Amino acid sequence: MSGWVRLLLALVLIAAAAGWWLTRPVTLGPEDLPDHVPDPVAGERQFWAGGCVSCHASPVDGKRARGDDKLLLGGGLELDTPYGVFRVPNVSPHAADGIGGWSMLEFVNAMQRGVAPDGRHYYPSFPYTSYAKMPVRDVMDLKAFIDTLPAVPGRIDEHSLGFPWSLRRGLGLWKRQYLDAEPVVGMPDDDSLVARGRLLVEGAGHCGECHTPRDRFGGMDRSRWLAGGPDPEGKGRVPNITPAGENLADWSASDIAYYLESGFTPEFDTVGGTMVAVQENMAQLDKADRDAIAAYLKAVPAID
Amino acid sequence: MSLRSIRLPLLCVSLSFAALALAADEAADFETIDESIDTRKALMEDVGAAAKPVGLMLRGEQEYDWTVALESLRTWRDVGGEFGKHFPEGSESGSGTEAAPAIWEDRAGFEAALTEWQEATSSAIAAAPETLDDARPILGAVFNTCKDCHDGYRIETD
Repeated sequence: MSGWVRLLLALVLIAAAAGWWLTRPVTLGPEDLPDHVPDPVAGERQFWAGGCVSCHASPVDGKRARGDDKLLLGGGLELDTPYGVFRVPNVSPHAADGIGGWSMLEFVNAMQRGVAPDGRHYYPSFPYTSYAKMPVRDVMDLKAFIDTLPAVPGRIDEHSLGFPWSLRRGLGLWKRQYLDAEPVVGMPDDDSLVARGRLLVEGAGHCGECHTPRDRFGGMDRSRWLAGGPDPEGKGRVPNITPAGENLADWSASDIAYYLESGFTPEFDTVGGTMVAVQENMAQLDKADRDAIAAYLKAVPAID
Repeated sequence: MSLRSIRLPLLCVSLSFAALALAADEAADFETIDESIDTRKALMEDVGAAAKPVGLMLRGEQEYDWTVALESLRTWRDVGGEFGKHFPEGSESGSGTEAAPAIWEDRAGFEAALTEWQEATSSAIAAAPETLDDARPILGAVFNTCKDCHDGYRIETD
């Protein structure tokens, strides 16, 4: 073998090894779990704030679940996207078909590192880049609540994605760019209303996943945080919810909180589209939480 | 005046009434597509205008006044009976309509949603709640029928 062929081979091997290293799943270890007794009552708040049901509740007769059917997390909804069809998995506490057999650490790694118990990356259609910003103890409480829900049998098929999106390993690189636990908007990290709103909006509520436009690699463009953009689920646009947004500019904080509670705008038009399900989740929270969300939305940078 | 001479005008008047009744009933059949869309938009604007005072009462920002609420409820009841007539085939798009394709794909579901709205409205009128506390669940139920229908049968436009 001539010298340059050997050199080329070595370079290819080094590149492959580097690629493998850069795309590896990065997970939390047992030492990263705080000493905390998971509280299912506190977990219910995270459950509604997190909007789990909007994707994971099994559709009933082809329509979104209502009432108590929302607590049946058997999955099965299909998200038709430019990347292919994502099929929402069963996250009910069913031991074989759902997540009933998962340890606390496996659950936390799924929610906050986007890594499955078998070590594969999850696609960011599961909004773990937002959930990564939740306090770990809140995630632990959430699992405690989900464990109290009915076990739903039935395994959901894998996603059907086009090449190269079908290569999960590549997501490791994407996560290096877009996954971290740091808050998006800088403000004092205290127990104020606005700081609690930040946790709900940037973390569990994952509002940015739709209300922040995406860059060309499909990550949230933080320079345009909550400034709206094309609807990732179809036609139309998701509104700008910064204080400069056309829709919200004239709304008071109490208008925002009332909208989240009742589904009515200050003009008493109703909430519409995919926001209906979100609003119904927010209506399950305490008033103090909706007030916190409103306070945060009034405090974020105004972007035209 | 002879009996004969009064007959013709009478006949004319009755025929005109019949024609009017027929026209009102079949209104949608004589509308162009654009007129259908304009009509239903105008009707829904009336509905929205009627919602504001009731909404402000529910929010506690305007004093509860049953006569005002009743006026809104009557508007909704009347529009509820009329609205569904203005969605002919071919009016699925254009003129800035926010009607969802589901209206034509699931006509029965759409009609059922309109019926629920009318029923909630009629019950509220019959209940005639005297205080805001009594009115809250009753009017809230009417408002929820707005959301239920918009959830499936209205699309969000820019």
